[in-house]
Amino acid sequence: MGSRASTLLRDEEIEEIKKETGFSHSQITRLYSRFTSLDKGENGTLSREDFQRIPELAINPLGDRIINAFFPEGEDQVNFRGFMRTLAHFRPIEDNEKSKDQNGPEPLNSRSNKLHFAFRLYDLDKDDKISREELLQVLRMMVGVNISDEQLGSIADRTIQEADQDGDSAISFTEFVKVLEKVDVEQKMSIRFLH
Amino acid sequence: MQAKGFGVLRPLHGLPFVVGMAVLLGLLPVLHSRGSEPHRMARMAATPPSHIYPKSVEAPIEEITSAPPASPDVHPGAKHPANHSFDGHGKKRKIFPVLDVDYTHVRLPFEIALWILLACLMKLGFHVIPTISGIVPESCLLIVVGLLVGGLIKAVGEDPPILQSNIFFLFLLPPIILDAGYFLPLRQFTENLGTILIFAVVGTLWNAFFVGALLYAVCQIGATGLSHIGLLANLLFGSIISAVDPVAVLAVFEEIHINELLHILVFGESLLNDAVTVVLYHLFDEYATFDKITFTDIILGFLSFFVVSLGGVFVGVVYGIIAAFTSRFTSHIRVIEPLFVFLYSYMAYLSAELFHLSGIMALIAAGVVMRPYVEANISHKSHTTIKYFLKMWSSVSETLIFIFLGVSTVAGQHRWEWTFVISTLIFCLIARVLGVLGLTWFINKFRIVKLTPKDQFIIAYGGLRGAIAFSLGYLIEKKHFDMREMFLTAIITVIFFTVFVQGMTIRPLVDLLAVKKKQETKRSINEEIHTQFLDHLLTGIEDICGHYGHHHWKDKLNRFNKKYIKKCLIAGERSKEPQLIAFYHKMEMKQAIELVESGGMGKIPSAVSTVSMQNINPKTLPVERILPALSKDKEEEIRKILRNNLQKTRQRLRSYNRHTLVADPYEEAWNQMLLRRQKARQLEQKINNYLTVPAHKIDSPTMSRARIGSDPLAYDPKPDSENLPIITIDPASPQSPESADLVSEALKGMSRLPPSPEEDEDEEGLVMRTKEPSSPGTDDVFTPGASDSPSNQRMMRCLSDPGPRPEPEEGEPFIPKGK
Repeated sequence: MGSRASTLLRDEEIEEIKKETGFSHSQITRLYSRFTSLDKGENGTLSREDFQRIPELAINPLGDRIINAFFPEGEDQVNFRGFMRTLAHFRPIEDNEKSKDQNGPEPLNSRSNKLHFAFRLYDLDKDDKISREELLQVLRMMVGVNISDEQLGSIADRTIQEADQDGDSAISFTEFVKVLEKVDVEQKMSIRFLH
Repeated sequence: MQAKGFGVLRPLHGLPFVVGMAVLLGLLPVLHSRGSEPHRMARMAATPPSHIYPKSVEAPIEEITSAPPASPDVHPGAKHPANHSFDGHGKKRKIFPVLDVDYTHVRLPFEIALWILLACLMKLGFHVIPTISGIVPESCLLIVVGLLVGGLIKAVGEDPPILQSNIFFLFLLPPIILDAGYFLPLRQFTENLGTILIFAVVGTLWNAFFVGALLYAVCQIGATGLSHIGLLANLLFGSIISAVDPVAVLAVFEEIHINELLHILVFGESLLNDAVTVVLYHLFDEYATFDKITFTDIILGFLSFFVVSLGGVFVGVVYGIIAAFTSRFTSHIRVIEPLFVFLYSYMAYLSAELFHLSGIMALIAAGVVMRPYVEANISHKSHTTIKYFLKMWSSVSETLIFIFLGVSTVAGQHRWEWTFVISTLIFCLIARVLGVLGLTWFINKFRIVKLTPKDQFIIAYGGLRGAIAFSLGYLIEKKHFDMREMFLTAIITVIFFTVFVQGMTIRPLVDLLAVKKKQETKRSINEEIHTQFLDHLLTGIEDICGHYGHHHWKDKLNRFNKKYIKKCLIAGERSKEPQLIAFYHKMEMKQAIELVESGGMGKIPSAVSTVSMQNINPKTLPVERILPALSKDKEEEIRKILRNNLQKTRQRLRSYNRHTLVADPYEEAWNQMLLRRQKARQLEQKINNYLTVPAHKIDSPTMSRARIGSDPLAYDPKPDSENLPIITIDPASPQSPESADLVSEALKGMSRLPPSPEEDEDEEGLVMRTKEPSSPGTDDVFTPGASDSPSNQRMMRCLSDPGPRPEPEEGEPFIPKGK
């Protein structure tokens, strides 16, 4: 499987992806074979429907949000490059990367990029704030339908109250980072990609 | 050191004295029969069968004997002459023994109680003197105490008790392990399970064989004179000495507050290596009886490892599920709830031990499995009880274990072999360091967060040995291993070295290396929400990548748990409660309790009643309906009566509160209260959300738990306050006819609502009382357009905002006072 898929990928393409995302050669070919198996239209891009066909994702409460995160704004197709760019957020931070030179662009899997990725999933209207409405929507997705609106509302209020520092009744990215500063985001937002 | 002497001395004074008292008690009859001793106690013992006195006479004697410092003059002098007059008479015949001594009868429990008391007093002593406990870990101090006590007992000429293996394994160890298992930080444990297992299994095996083999090599060197010790004996010794001890690790690591990752790695290893130790121990012990060890024996030994560990886990899981299932039905007999947790866990441990399975694994598994379900089922009070009992038992056990280690060191026979002891110590350290370095190199290939050299150092350095090794060494049969004493001596040396040297230096080293410490913060709701969010997110990403990792399986398990297991094991509505909501309730609950303790809550009932009175208070309904018909004068009169009554209620509230948690602001001086009000209002604002959360159905279990958690007395005056229409004097509308009209209008509109407060008010008081009156109100507010939450929210807020309201309401009853 892997070798067949890799033949479809040109070496320079792999090199570029490698440079951009930090994935290893074998990881890229492996994920490419996954990509092609998801790509039912066989046109080199994935559509929303392709994602929705993954059965586990269909029952994931955040499934739609996650799918949306793969698509750049206004587009409904994602190519392998974009696919990998999104996945790169979840690559674990390697030891040697920490000490790497700081002058280059921040790698996609840095702590702040990971957090920003999560933040964007909350922030639907892209105003760099998680409003009460947005928080409520996420809560509703996670807890299911049998919880009353008032109760969820009070949880949302409380959450915002707890995180809000500038008093705008919304959670900005800075505040988001602040409330999660004790959480081991590097670990919680990392997946061990198979080699 | 001076300070330490002080701490040690106090109980030590008591011990010989108690022994002395026992001897004295034994002498009493003798003294009496000779009639030579005019001691008061002896004379009282000589009291003939007086039918009036026995009880009253016995009581003071007991007082004197059991409380050593009490001098004889404590004894009521009035009885003395009376006794005296009978004195001569009693000598003639055998008298009825008014005071009889039968020490053997109480000996065992008496001594046990004495030991436990000693342990507790020691612990107390160390915490009274903070300076030494800052430098020396408690475990070291306790061993020293044990050594001193043992020496003392030996000096008196008695045989000091030895830490019996079955007492240790059957009584002292289980509480500590259950405490560890029940409160195991599950998330960290599962996230690092692979690492922990590799350390526990491979690491322990490596240690055992490395130490055993090298010691065998040392023994074979002719000059040492130890050549009679065979390979098998050395391997047995290696397997005993190689296991990291959970008790020792807990004792030291809890004090240094190291970060959770390192803590769970070392502690988890010490828990899970039990299976390896048990198997190796039994293996070599059995092999010692065989003439020849065949290949099959080795295969069977390997197989038994899986049986022992997985069997232990299986037994634990079964008991855990039974315990959870039982707790489903305990809602009527809350008092015995905690007992089920303890008993089922203990049964799990014993059942596992019955089959030589790993009892520790069984206990951990039972604790981990039962906890989420039991917690959802039992009352808040029971939960607190479980928590305290576990902590109490485990800390007493731990103290006793360390003291007995010291005592046993003095008591046991020793054979000191320099070469053997020194080489054991060195090999143990080398094996540990090499093992950790080698294994982390391997593990780091798979870990997302790598273990740094610092981490590795702490893991290696934290490999403390303890009482389990000692007890296992004690279990060796002399028949097969005649070098048992030498082994025990070496084991004790290693234990002392690790506990004293490593235990004492680990804290400075942690500071020196700037190892990350534990952050002592409560989990915030933000963290909870975002963590769950990230979990879902990562599950999704894993699914997209098409590889079934950690998150995928965890998600599967969660779904299964939610769909089937929770329904079976959790009673009522809570089984459907999502984790987030449960967490939220727990957090709010905690905060409410804190608020009560800080004194803010005392004010809140009134604050909320201002709100709720407008909305509804079903019991006051009839009163208010009558009110409009009354004349102004009558109304004034009623108001006066009510005012007085209200004040009485307040006063009563005060007196009740004195015995409860609720700190009552009314108790304080008036102006102080004004100051406080400011503070309380802020607090109220905070919990306002909580108080106004309606949804009776959903949170009723939580509420009932909360209610049980509260003291019934605190809210006893509630009926009064309900019957007394606080409402009618609602200061918000002094022209009461109109206001009453308004209120009754509102009430009429509301009467269709279920009078929930009464229904829910079944058992005892109500921390949540405040909540109940308010909730129908919010219900009412919400019923029209529940879907539109933001506006509702605002409405609810302005309705329930207790800010400016309470002042006049509170002022009312105090007006007479002012005049």
